[in-house]
Amino acid sequence: MLMNLQFFSHHKGGGSTSNGRDSKAKRLGAKRADGQTVTSGSILYRQRGTHIYPGMNVKIGGDDTLFATSAGVVKFERKGRNKRQVSVYPTAE
Amino acid sequence: MIKTHFLSENDIVCGYLLQGHADSGEYGYDIVCAAVSVLAINTVNSLEQLALVQPQVVSDDENGGYLKVTLSQADAKKPAAQLLLNSFELGIRSIIDNYQEYITIED
Repeated sequence: MLMNLQFFSHHKGGGSTSNGRDSKAKRLGAKRADGQTVTSGSILYRQRGTHIYPGMNVKIGGDDTLFATSAGVVKFERKGRNKRQVSVYPTAE
Repeated sequence: MIKTHFLSENDIVCGYLLQGHADSGEYGYDIVCAAVSVLAINTVNSLEQLALVQPQVVSDDENGGYLKVTLSQADAKKPAAQLLLNSFELGIRSIIDNYQEYITIED
């Protein structure tokens, strides 16, 4: 028989605690990878605030989401000393 | 509250039944539950591996809080089995000495 030390204990739900609330996961973060080809309007990065800044051919939406304004290849780059930006470089047709 | 029943036939202890939850602390910190769990489960394993008898075990592994262990008359008479069952009873009674609000013996 498995040695379960909590065999005679109420399971997690048993006691009442003031914890147990959490907001829905917002699945923030990068939605496209560096070097990936995207179409115009593609969402690149979801964020709250400007963790990443918009670079070339990228705009920022009302909820700080970054999206491509033209088709091309995604590039995550440094911006100044300690900031980062994302750009989209059109591919040669 | 854990309710303990010692099962006996012809004055020979041949098993035990444990029902309920100790509720002496939060999940993971319930020391009475842990003590009783160790005694009860270790007795089952000892009967099988040390006394070499085959107890019939009925347990609610999903929710916990229910364990019935019974031996046949022949197995229950074996000295090693009797020693383990009496040791289990001694352990339960010792816990009750200090934690009677969390565990009792029912006749």
